[in-house]
Amino acid sequence: MYISEYMTKDPLKINPDLTISQAREILDSKHFRHLPVVDDNGRLLGIITDRDIRSAYPSSLAPDEERKRTLEQTTITPVGSIMSRVLSTLSPDATLDDALLFFRKHIVGAIPITDKENKLVGIFSIRDMIKAYSNIFGLGEKGSQLIAVEDDLDKKNIMSLIVRVLESNNISFTRIMRTGSRIYIRAQSYNIKSIKAALESEGLNLIERKVDV
Amino acid sequence: MSDFYKINIVTHDIYRLHDTSGDKYHPEKPGRITSVVEHLKKGMLSTNLNFIEANCPEREWILKIHNNNYLLRFEEACLAGKEYLAHPDNRISYNSFEAAFYSCGSGLTSIDYVEKQTDGVFFCLSRPPGHHSETSLALGFCFINNVAVAAKYWQEKYNRERIFVLDFDAHHGNGIQASFEEDPSVFYASIHEHPTFSFPGTGYADDNGSGKGIGATLNIPLKPGSGDKQVLEIMDTTIYDALERFKPDAIIVAAGFDAHIDDDMSGLAFSTRLYGEIGMRLFVMAKKFCDGRIISILEGGYNINALCNSIETYLAGISIKTGE
Ligand SMILES: [Zn+2]
Repeated sequence: MYISEYMTKDPLKINPDLTISQAREILDSKHFRHLPVVDDNGRLLGIITDRDIRSAYPSSLAPDEERKRTLEQTTITPVGSIMSRVLSTLSPDATLDDALLFFRKHIVGAIPITDKENKLVGIFSIRDMIKAYSNIFGLGEKGSQLIAVEDDLDKKNIMSLIVRVLESNNISFTRIMRTGSRIYIRAQSYNIKSIKAALESEGLNLIERKVDV
Repeated sequence: MSDFYKINIVTHDIYRLHDTSGDKYHPEKPGRITSVVEHLKKGMLSTNLNFIEANCPEREWILKIHNNNYLLRFEEACLAGKEYLAHPDNRISYNSFEAAFYSCGSGLTSIDYVEKQTDGVFFCLSRPPGHHSETSLALGFCFINNVAVAAKYWQEKYNRERIFVLDFDAHHGNGIQASFEEDPSVFYASIHEHPTFSFPGTGYADDNGSGKGIGATLNIPLKPGSGDKQVLEIMDTTIYDALERFKPDAIIVAAGFDAHIDDDMSGLAFSTRLYGEIGMRLFVMAKKFCDGRIISILEGGYNINALCNSIETYLAGISIKTGE
């Protein structure tokens, strides 16, 4: 559940006195959307995005004279002058929930991850977030199926009952999710007949998918 | 009274010796074959049936798909009296290895007959099933990928270069997909219950092959509860178009019947009649696109009653003479 498992460790970073056009070359050649900017000690100063760079370039509608001047500027202006100063970061032991809240609050595509000395140790992008959640929900994990059981508030300790039934019947599972009126089990087995028999023998009700369109 | 072409059922007695009864709820049991044989012999197609014994395939053909160490491990596990291979789902008994070989042999035997211009249609009534098994992986009651081996055999023994596999089992045939993911010469089309719910959790619509094989994998996941209406539309549009574009030299059907409404191994709700409709369409399409070269290989189907009726209806559909 920690972002350190999913972030890009030791990411490519640049110095603030690199010019805008040099930074652009790096972004373009690596197909990155953002680059962290650090000082000589590796401490985070800011972040430069492909959008920051694009807006430093002349508009195609601008008069020739102005275009030329703006283009020249990009070859001498350091990225340090146009980067966004980073005010918030997360630490490697922040959780995925922290990252989710961060993305909800700040309109950014990536979060710089820094240690206590503000040294950059990683970067965590929305893409990493998608990967992390796919992993947690077992997306594309081979050999499992989702079993839905009716939740029953009158049944005491229904969650532990489910776990006990599965474990005592050697039915492996990776997740149990309680959502409203249902409890979903991701079971690592094809043999639904055995799973059904085991759960029903303890009075648990499986929800049939056939009628559940 | 309808008239039917000859229906060749390729099967073998050894299938009943693959014994899974150590788990009393195991759905993949010998009765799946024996009951269907009995049912067909008593039914409306009885006079059209021709039973053929499956041959044992040369190991080299199975090695086209599977790893030799995996086969050795599988054989060893059976002979040593192990209860299962890799996962308790995959129950085995002393004769399972041999049964799996002969199960694979049913497809190859059918292909030999088709290539000898033998009359009629071919259905491999075999078990254990195959479509979940991969190179070195037994999964979901499957050990040897019967359909994948058959596709290779048809290509390499008879130079039928382009093989179209249609898999209408309720579950995604991850093993067939994995075998030909990067291979543009084998088209894998699968209609199955959506992987968010169903075993084995693969076969998202987004998966369409990789490398050179992009575009030669077609996954069509159905929402739980889906049935005849959705499937017929898919057969008449998506599948028809895919066949027309791919121009196959032969078709192999991974024929599983566990999407039947009475089969609790899936959340799909196909009627018995639907299998007849699918059969009729496949007959027409095989005629149109590949000179009638088509074989069907049994995959799943676990409610014995539904399985008997569904196979019979499918066979009627694929062998019915339509006044031509
Ligand atoms: Zn199946």
